[in-house]
Amino acid sequence: MTEDFIHFDKNDELCIIYVSGEVDLSNSAEVRKTILSALKTTPEVVVNLAHVEYIDSSGIAAMVEGLQFANSHGKTFGLSKPSKQVRSILELARLDQVFRID
Amino acid sequence: METNNNETVIEVKDLVTHYGQRKILDGVDLDVKKGEIRVIMGGSGSGKSTLLWHILGLYQPTEGQIKLLGKDIHRISFNEQLQLKQDIGVSFQSGALFSSMTVGENVALPLREFTELDENTIRIISRMKLEVVNLGGFHKLMPSQLSGGMVKRAALARSIVMDPKLLFFDEPSAGLDPVVASEIDDLILSLRDTMGMSMVVVTHELDSAFKIADKITVLDNGKNLITGTVEEIKKSENKRVMDLLQRRSRHDKLNPKDYLKRLTQENYTLT
Amino acid sequence: MINVLIKKVESIGISTFQAVERLGFAMRLFWDSFYWLIIGRRYKQKVRLRQVVEQIRVNGFDALPIVMALCFVVGMMLSIQLLYALSDFGAESQVLLAIAKSVTREFSPLITGVIVAGRSGAAIAARIGSQVVSQEIDALKVIGIVPVRYLVLPPLLGLMVSMPLLVICADFMAIFGGAIFSAHELNMSINAYMLESFNVLIVGDVLQGLIKSVVFGIIIVLVGATTGFYVTGGAEGVGKATTSAVVISISFIVLADMIASYFLTQ
Repeated sequence: MTEDFIHFDKNDELCIIYVSGEVDLSNSAEVRKTILSALKTTPEVVVNLAHVEYIDSSGIAAMVEGLQFANSHGKTFGLSKPSKQVRSILELARLDQVFRID
Repeated sequence: METNNNETVIEVKDLVTHYGQRKILDGVDLDVKKGEIRVIMGGSGSGKSTLLWHILGLYQPTEGQIKLLGKDIHRISFNEQLQLKQDIGVSFQSGALFSSMTVGENVALPLREFTELDENTIRIISRMKLEVVNLGGFHKLMPSQLSGGMVKRAALARSIVMDPKLLFFDEPSAGLDPVVASEIDDLILSLRDTMGMSMVVVTHELDSAFKIADKITVLDNGKNLITGTVEEIKKSENKRVMDLLQRRSRHDKLNPKDYLKRLTQENYTLT
Repeated sequence: MINVLIKKVESIGISTFQAVERLGFAMRLFWDSFYWLIIGRRYKQKVRLRQVVEQIRVNGFDALPIVMALCFVVGMMLSIQLLYALSDFGAESQVLLAIAKSVTREFSPLITGVIVAGRSGAAIAARIGSQVVSQEIDALKVIGIVPVRYLVLPPLLGLMVSMPLLVICADFMAIFGGAIFSAHELNMSINAYMLESFNVLIVGDVLQGLIKSVVFGIIIVLVGATTGFYVTGGAEGVGKATTSAVVISISFIVLADMIASYFLTQ
């Protein structure tokens, strides 16, 4: 379960984190940790959310923290392919205008 | 949102409750599906607020059963109740913000009490919720510094901070000017559409009810009068429903002798 | 005539019933507070240390100046009266002993209790009462926070800690007040008077005052919270509750003082 839920592709320039399934209070801390530690070692981090079925506020907060860290350390942080549910939640808090989404 | 989902999330069966000798609720049933917005209407004294307090477990019924998300609220342990409460958000008529805390602390309180989240994460989540209700940047104010509409929106932010599955509203737009009231209605709709929450809204505002409701339940004298879609309610030929829609209050048939007594007797009291 | 009599008896019955009901409610609050203190962690109902410290600050530390000032004055007043009364017997030298004992055993806990009842008892009743009126209690319940744990336990612990501390300061100030007035009459320096006072006191004297003060603290919180939770009728109800919280808690304090004195002086 945990192996499927989060994994990443990494080279010197770019780290892509793939998250899938449900992100909620029980595992958002892990997402947060992964994002922050990836940002410490690579200049660009992208979180792929294509296979996220559900994400709660703590999951979104983890992304916000990633962006905050990236901006204050001169790195790049983005989201890619958010699923419909993720996108609508981002739009609800108008975060779609804050994140770089591709 | 998802029309093929028929899961019942709120189930009330045969609810009876007394206040002293008076029956407030007399066999009320309610059945709300996932993702549905159910509006409960009725004149004052119809028992609509009492029903809400019972569903939330604030009052004990005389008889009847209440199931939320499949769990009988009177038959589960304290820990299960606590678990259930994380899945429920309530927005009170007065807002019921904690007056000794700032708006931000109010919104963050459930996260602080019931999650192990990092303080930084808690701050982001609670401010995000304030953004959702259009109160971005207001987290440092005290509740007493907010206007009526802002209090209600802040209370709404607090009620959704745990991402609940069920959301309850007591008179969300009462006492607000039409513009703010319709803002709240829009918020209710967009929350349902994005988060798939199921909602029960107790209100007496017709415009708001027709705008947000999937189904409307009308209570009268503690009994179910009718349940149906907005169209069905509008077309109903039931006299009490028509009275309600046309905002007519009921006058009992006048008894001239009683009437004279009420006007003239010094010690007259209602029996 | 008979009707009036029946009405009177009826209303006495009703108010007795209400009084007993509230007494039961207060006992229940006390029991529940310690239940949640001990078992709360298991049910996600942790008592925050920060909340308790805040209560110690508000109910204890902030009351310190007024408590110290009044006890100083009471110490002076006692020495005036005792010097006058005892001079008839030529027993002025006993003033020091009389002040030290009466102050530590009786006056400083009582005065502290009355002041804190007026400050904190009223504040607790007003706070809880207005929270009942504004549905904040209901909001706590639906969020999953047990109101007793959140609203009653912190001030209860706060007062149980701060009352004895206040009383120690009060003891000191009252004896000092006595010293200012009577040291000269007794041909002693103020320093010597103070030292001699501490010498004549035994542990039991001070302890009696401290035990009483803890009991008074409990009474103040329970009476304040009970009247607060029973508030009905909006803002006016809150005002009434505040007044009756002060009156009732002072009455209970005096009563408890008498009972405690009886048993602790055996």
